[in-house]
Amino acid sequence: MRLGDAALGAAGTLGVLLVWEAAARSGAVNPTLFPPPSTAIPEALRRIGPDELWQHVSASLLRIVWGFCLGAGPGILVGVASGWYRTLGALVRPLVELVRPIPPLAWIPMAIIWFGLGEPSKVFVIFLAAFFPVFTNTYKGMVGIDALLLRAAQTMGLSGPRLLLTVAIPAALPDIATGLRVGWGLSFGILVAAELIAAEQGMGFLIMHARLLGDVSVIIFGILLIGATNLATDACLAGVIRRWLGRWHAT
Amino acid sequence: MRPSGRVSADGAFRPGGTSRGGPRWLGVASLGGLVLLWQLASLAGLLKPFYFPPPSRLAIAFWELAREGFPEGIRIWTHMAVTLGRIAQGYLLALGVAIPLGILIGWVPVLDKLTLPLITFARSVATLSLLPLVIVWFGAGELSKVLLIAYGCFWVMLTNVIASVKYIDPLLVRAARTLETGGLAIFGRVVLPAALPRMFAGARVALGVGFMVIVGAEMIGTIQGLGALIMEARTYYRSDISVVGMVVIGLFGFAISVGLERLERVLLPWSRGLESVRR
Repeated sequence: MRLGDAALGAAGTLGVLLVWEAAARSGAVNPTLFPPPSTAIPEALRRIGPDELWQHVSASLLRIVWGFCLGAGPGILVGVASGWYRTLGALVRPLVELVRPIPPLAWIPMAIIWFGLGEPSKVFVIFLAAFFPVFTNTYKGMVGIDALLLRAAQTMGLSGPRLLLTVAIPAALPDIATGLRVGWGLSFGILVAAELIAAEQGMGFLIMHARLLGDVSVIIFGILLIGATNLATDACLAGVIRRWLGRWHAT
Repeated sequence: MRPSGRVSADGAFRPGGTSRGGPRWLGVASLGGLVLLWQLASLAGLLKPFYFPPPSRLAIAFWELAREGFPEGIRIWTHMAVTLGRIAQGYLLALGVAIPLGILIGWVPVLDKLTLPLITFARSVATLSLLPLVIVWFGAGELSKVLLIAYGCFWVMLTNVIASVKYIDPLLVRAARTLETGGLAIFGRVVLPAALPRMFAGARVALGVGFMVIVGAEMIGTIQGLGALIMEARTYYRSDISVVGMVVIGLFGFAISVGLERLERVLLPWSRGLESVRR
């Protein structure tokens, strides 16, 4: 049954690739503007050797990991604290709600003014993309904890920090996990634009540079590369979260 | 600060979902306090106005944008109209294709299985990574920006529409069949109403994506639009204008998402209790 599903999925994907290939070969679309995958990928690989490729991928991943960790860590901390201490929540949340709708990319000029053109400004923009979803989901998780659960724990004599650490935070973990994955996806979403800030390496730089050279093969390859990296790293994150959640939420 | 949490010392409970957060005046006070501090710190010379333009300076910059415009002659209203116009075009285009297509895919299991890996991949392709490609294909004009927004909104909307139809309680459909309802009537009177709340949630998220993408799309090949304004101002060392642009786009995003939430409550009163499905 599941094998059949996978086969159908593979067939659908293959079908689209074949149509693309056929369209480019038959000349229905201009192959220099829209090269088929069979020529675009080898062509791109020929132009950017494996070493250079790895440099771009690792430069981007490093930025994302830094920005994500800097955003997700405080996101969880502030989210948990504002969900638990009501007064703090009332103070912090309006601020966050006000700043949150500003798209991370709109911060780019201020990021450059504050941090210059180097790495920190790119990391800062990614930090913004990661912080808000993690904070919002963590807060939502903390506020939505079943009151009965807390009451039961209190009856058993738990209170204060121990109640928070052993009952409340584990109960909010699924929401925190959602926030982490959304934050990771968003970080990837803005990577390319963040790398428009005077970058010399990175997958976003790779494709923007290829545009200047008019090299469509490299652009298409780069787009697929960013998508694949996003998909693969998200799967890793999901796997880690599942194992980590499994301790409390057996499903 | 006393750890109050949900279980306060007197044993009273905050019922889930009703009164979130603390008293509202605290929030207003914290916002007002921050703005005041910001202004005072700036007056005292602690914050350099170029790095952190104070509120008074922002007000002046807004006035300048409203009267004379920036860059010369393009007033803030034009920037707003251009940005909203681009978002609206891309968004409506995405919805117009995603809704019928999503219903079809969600309703026919084979189509769903055929397209699942493709849709998953297309969703993980960062919208802005298409920026160089659409520029090569369609130039740096309006079409490219609208298409980028459409792409971002499309996949979010599509996955939500598919899920909205796919995960309808089969009991509802079977019950309707038992009552000898015809195929089209089942669709119009059972499937669609049951699917609408999730579709609406998808539409809301998709609009948020549109607001994210527009800033990136306006970074290239235009001087009109809020995104362009924010970036353009930097090259003239006008950080105050950048911040005004950020605040305006943030307010728009905020107002529209709140507006849609209200609209949903009016249009789809049966969608309450769906909060948990909505992630």
